[in-house]
Amino acid sequence: MVNRKMDTQIRMNTTVVHALIHPGAFFSEKMNAHESLKVPALIVLATGLIGAVNAYLTTGYTMQLMPADMQSMGSFIAAGSAVAALIGGFIFWIVVAAVFFLISMAFKGKGSFNRTLEFVGYGYLPMVFGSIASTAFAYRYFSTVQLRPITDVSQIAEVTLQVLQHPMMQLAGVVSIIFLIWSANIWVFGLRSARSLTTRNALLTVGIPVGVYILYSLYSLFGGL
Amino acid sequence: MKAYPFILILLLCIAGGFAVPAAAGPSSVSVTSYEVDPQVPIRGDTATVTVAVQNTGTESVAVSRAMLYGSQIGILDSPYQSVGEIGAGTTREFTFPIKTAVSDGIHYLTFVLDFREGGSLRYQVPIRVESTDLAVALVERPDVFSEGRTDAVTLRIGNPRSAGVTGVSVAPEGEGYSVVPSSAFIGALAPDQAATVTFNVTPEEGADVSFRVSYRNGVNTHSTLLPLPLIISEGKRRADPVLTNIDLEANAGGYRVNGDIINAGLETARSVIVTVGEGATPEDPYRIYVVGALDPDDFSSFEVTFSAPEGTAEVPLVIQYRDDEGNIYRSSSAINLGAAAVLPDQGAEGFSGTAIAVVALIAIAIGGAIFYSWRKAKTSQ
Repeated sequence: MVNRKMDTQIRMNTTVVHALIHPGAFFSEKMNAHESLKVPALIVLATGLIGAVNAYLTTGYTMQLMPADMQSMGSFIAAGSAVAALIGGFIFWIVVAAVFFLISMAFKGKGSFNRTLEFVGYGYLPMVFGSIASTAFAYRYFSTVQLRPITDVSQIAEVTLQVLQHPMMQLAGVVSIIFLIWSANIWVFGLRSARSLTTRNALLTVGIPVGVYILYSLYSLFGGL
Repeated sequence: MKAYPFILILLLCIAGGFAVPAAAGPSSVSVTSYEVDPQVPIRGDTATVTVAVQNTGTESVAVSRAMLYGSQIGILDSPYQSVGEIGAGTTREFTFPIKTAVSDGIHYLTFVLDFREGGSLRYQVPIRVESTDLAVALVERPDVFSEGRTDAVTLRIGNPRSAGVTGVSVAPEGEGYSVVPSSAFIGALAPDQAATVTFNVTPEEGADVSFRVSYRNGVNTHSTLLPLPLIISEGKRRADPVLTNIDLEANAGGYRVNGDIINAGLETARSVIVTVGEGATPEDPYRIYVVGALDPDDFSSFEVTFSAPEGTAEVPLVIQYRDDEGNIYRSSSAINLGAAAVLPDQGAEGFSGTAIAVVALIAIAIGGAIFYSWRKAKTSQ
């Protein structure tokens, strides 16, 4: 009876949703299981697919800025950017895990890269919702604007910046950052377990690169103000 | 004594025979004057020759006919085939129409008066034919004309002929222009006299203007044409407002364009206004921006607000101004709307508040999740 209750508790702690609100217990339990990248890869795939939709919409709309002769290539360019976003999601997953792994080495972290990769993948879960919210904001924005073709090619960069720094697009960026902070919170618990770090060292391992990335994102969003 | 009457009659006959030549008429009848109208005909003119014959005697003289002869000048009519008597002390005029289809110079006509009782009176009438036309000259005109701009054109009409002309008038001909006055009347022009007339001409593109000077020489109407060379281009000195430092900004439902307007010409541009042209709709608050007068090298800022249909790539920014004479000029330069490619709809403003609230709720929810995760972790420890 006691064993059955413990099994139920373990299953509850290892469900993916549990990682969102109780990541400490989730990763502690996961440390007792075999390394598996299947679920994290699915989470990253979901993030990548939503990111691909976002990239397709954004590129498709911004192609309206291009001269008429270039707009015929708009669907190809949008599809290309969607594929790039999908593949980029997986590359970014590996890069983030590698960065965390390397930084944690400075804190004498122990544990395999695969475990780090697995736990970082679980940390992508909030970004699934973040991508959905960002895509909704971007779609809402682009559906309410009229974009004129630009005849002066030298103005494309300026106008694109003007589009991306619109308040609605800035809000979409802020939403992404909020969800990234949530992911970072999960990564802290994941790295603490995967690399046997103290909470302080795990915070530094995750906080330094994520903090730099957030600062860069905020500068990109509001730098022109 | 019986021979005295015969001798007296013979002497009287002899005396009478000497007094009246066989080829001539009565000595009391003579040509006192003649008149040619017009005084100096032009080649081809119709004229009249009036000869005045006076009988200075105490008795009437019977005249059978009066004729005018010419070798080159044509006599159009001979209305005096039966004249009758010319009373004592009276003057009788004989008028003949002629056609001067001859070369310039002096030609003679012969006036012949045949008396009923034998003999005739002959008189040579000189006719001076001169084909010199009136002289027309442009004395004032602009170097170049501008389309839609009114400029003064002054003509001087001189009479180099040896006789006066009447009914002189000047009327412009051609197409593609407007002119004030539509014609000018000078009237009579004496020999070696001149008159000046001024026209205000406003040419359009492809205008063709000539001035026709018409006059009368007697009953004959003549004219001479003076073409006006029209070189239409922008005046060398006229005002030239130029737009610069253009800043286009998209706002809710439209655009706002700011910039500077500079007068790069040499004349003052008056009543300068800036607005948008076809393809765009001026909107409040700056449908039209009135700049006012701009001296050469002077500048002013302006601001215009407008809207444009979806898909409009560029709209014309129209400058309108006047010169010192009140002529209106327009010029336009296109604004590329790509410079402000984003035009939010009206509803976007209301959405941003909702969006901020949604983001705030998301932030609170995630903050709660993070706080809960740390609290749970602390409890677990």
